[in-house]
Amino acid sequence: MPVDLDKLAKRPISRRQFIRYTATTAAAAWLASNGLHVRAQGGGRTMVWLGHQEVAGLGPNDIGPDVQAVMIFNILDPLVHVDHLANIVPVLAESFSAAEDGLSYTFNLHQGVRFHNGEELTADDVKYTFDYYSQPGNVVAGRFLGMGSVEVVDRYTVIVHMDEVNAAFLAQAGLVPIVPAAYHAEVGGDDIFRTRPIGTGSFKLREWRPADFTELEAFADHFRGAPGVEVLRLEVVPEPSVRYIALQTGDAHSTVWPLLVEDSLSMEGDPRFRVLRTLGDSIKYFPMNLDRPVFDDVRTRRALMHATDRQRIIDDLWDGTASVATSHLSPKNGFYYTTDGVREYAYDPERARSLLDEAGWAEGSDGVRARDGLRLSFTCTTITGDQARRPIAELTQQFWRQVGVEMLLAEAPVATILEGMRNGDLEMSLFNWTHGGTPEPNPAGTLRSNGGDNYSRYNNPEMDRLIDAGVGVVDPDARRAIYHDIQRLYAEEVPAIYLQYDEWINVFSTDIDGLPDDVLNALPLYYFARQLGMGG
Amino acid sequence: MTRYVLVRMMQGVVVVFLISVITFIIMRVMPGDPVYLLLGDGNIQITEEQIQQIRTNWGLDRPLYEQYLVWAGNLLTGDFGESLVRRGVPVRQMIMEAVPVTALLNLYAITAAILFALPLGIASAVRKNTWVDYTTSFFSALGIATPNFWLSLMLIVVFAQYLRWLPPFGLRSWQGYILPVAVMATEEIAVLLRMTRGAVLELLPQDFVRTARAKGVSGQRVLWRHVMSNAMIAVVTLIGYRFALLLSGTIIVETVFALPGVGRLFTDSVMRLDYQVVQSLVVIFAVIVVVANLITDLVYSLIDPRVRVSS
Repeated sequence: MPVDLDKLAKRPISRRQFIRYTATTAAAAWLASNGLHVRAQGGGRTMVWLGHQEVAGLGPNDIGPDVQAVMIFNILDPLVHVDHLANIVPVLAESFSAAEDGLSYTFNLHQGVRFHNGEELTADDVKYTFDYYSQPGNVVAGRFLGMGSVEVVDRYTVIVHMDEVNAAFLAQAGLVPIVPAAYHAEVGGDDIFRTRPIGTGSFKLREWRPADFTELEAFADHFRGAPGVEVLRLEVVPEPSVRYIALQTGDAHSTVWPLLVEDSLSMEGDPRFRVLRTLGDSIKYFPMNLDRPVFDDVRTRRALMHATDRQRIIDDLWDGTASVATSHLSPKNGFYYTTDGVREYAYDPERARSLLDEAGWAEGSDGVRARDGLRLSFTCTTITGDQARRPIAELTQQFWRQVGVEMLLAEAPVATILEGMRNGDLEMSLFNWTHGGTPEPNPAGTLRSNGGDNYSRYNNPEMDRLIDAGVGVVDPDARRAIYHDIQRLYAEEVPAIYLQYDEWINVFSTDIDGLPDDVLNALPLYYFARQLGMGG
Repeated sequence: MTRYVLVRMMQGVVVVFLISVITFIIMRVMPGDPVYLLLGDGNIQITEEQIQQIRTNWGLDRPLYEQYLVWAGNLLTGDFGESLVRRGVPVRQMIMEAVPVTALLNLYAITAAILFALPLGIASAVRKNTWVDYTTSFFSALGIATPNFWLSLMLIVVFAQYLRWLPPFGLRSWQGYILPVAVMATEEIAVLLRMTRGAVLELLPQDFVRTARAKGVSGQRVLWRHVMSNAMIAVVTLIGYRFALLLSGTIIVETVFALPGVGRLFTDSVMRLDYQVVQSLVVIFAVIVVVANLITDLVYSLIDPRVRVSS
């Protein structure tokens, strides 16, 4: 049929035709999309969790990032673990004991424990794991501080001999997952093992696509019986609002990495969810380069503490889901935590100004104080794209401006910040970091002068001495006094501007059963996924 | 022709080499140390000496030129090396896992764009200044102006959260493709539609169209045979151009919909300083862009006899 261009141009599509075509298209799209979308709860006994970043590896060296730890500890069992009430509980060790002098630890292993490849767990596997992962170059090597040798007494008994007392040993080394010696050696060590791990855990690795998902399946021969669900899957969903929607739609049952605070709080009244608010181990703080002259006077640092309205930061920017920090250690660690004799810093701009005057910082013509020609000005570098914490830096900038301190703001990727703070290239940053946790309060990594995570470049022989003393005795009561002193010293010295203890908010669908009523620590709920089931 | 292709390929080799050197230098000049990212947030107690030991194990303490030569030498044999972050996983495998995701998304989006944009573009050109033209113009302007990020979230809210027709993330089933492809196609359609409309409008009043009609060729034949074969230049350009955007164009969509494609692999790797992955991806994409440009130019000469390649 010939078409005349002019005619074609003038021929209108009738409204009726238009509506008909539109309706047909929409109906086709609906039919196409409907029906086949299988939701998580429809997939039988499959439990789906959400993480925010990829699972880069599944070996003992990878237990640092939470999203990796929650998978690893379901595949590989450690000798002991820390449970949801922050108690050290036996896992592969049926029982364990420390010598009174702290120079040896004895572990009695469960008998008849099978690895996923069918081989039995023996004391040799424990010795192999400890020997291998304590070698320098392993990320977890620091957990074996003070360890001398590992002795295999019999098939099910291991004694660890210490060169030096390290009271943190049990909570540190005890948590390193045990690998099957023969298999681990056969694949050539950790680099390959972390990509195809075999353990004694309640779940076996079924499929691992680091940036996409990690899927585990139940290990029926686990020494404590088969787990409550058949399949456990961790999905990587970087965008927090999409994680929120996925929980709403039932595509996932829990989010390991928190949602936006306002989204979590909005789910509190929803009967389909249990929202667990637990205090974290970390502090949110401004580490600062103490080698820089602007920060060299403790009165300057105390002034910055007094000039910061920390409660307002929590109320206005954190929806009240945090509490003002009193030192580097979180009150979650009930046993070692103290406020007794710990210097407090109430919001008091007047006090801040007089402290700055005392420290020799005179008000300048541009409103910024100066001392011998040095302006009280520095740059805080926050993490690129960190929309949650950046406003805290901005508000603090205003607080400090009012007392004559100038803070400039910059942004950089995490890797740049951590290295820059460590080697002294940067002046200040803002993030969360754990300075000793629960139940083990040792802050050696962050506060000792040689600590790998000592981002303030803090170097105080008295602090080093206290830290060494803290791990040098095993008696908890004796240790307690030392950690109280460390908190007092920290608050006196102010090696960083410490803001708040954040609440960690985890959301669980009520489809998940087996969750305990009292929870101090939420992450172990994921580590012991075998105890969870899918009801309904 | 053969000589032309050879010269272009030689140029391509030089370009790729320069890009590999520049990328290598940029990655190493960027401050930061990938070792720190493995440590989590302080649960692992580690000393500086131990960090240094890890760095040595990974070869990060060797001189830069040595690191480059090792990497480039391996690259020539097709060995992209191993990821620093996903140690034990060859970079080649990481890329091979990510490429299909991004390639399929782009393929679907471009196909959808061609299917929708060509007819609509022609219609709005032929019916210039009618409601058809105004409506498509309005929506294509809207499509170009809408940020991908916002559109993605809105589609998820509507189709996943409220209507429950489609999954909110991932590619577990074919439905997973619908929303991300829709987002990517929206912009594509808008651009291609405007291009097609412009090309057709420009061609309609031309002498060869009038001549064809004057000698009695039917309107439809004129439109498809004469006008469209000329308008195809625009389409080919767009498709060639998409290859260059393959890397950057899907980053947002891949992040929001949690798709493990090349865009996310690239941004993640830059953020955590996974040198080998970034360098390899950039070189691969340099090669793709060089080849795609060459092919685009060659295809031009095939579909448009006026374009001649000359050495």
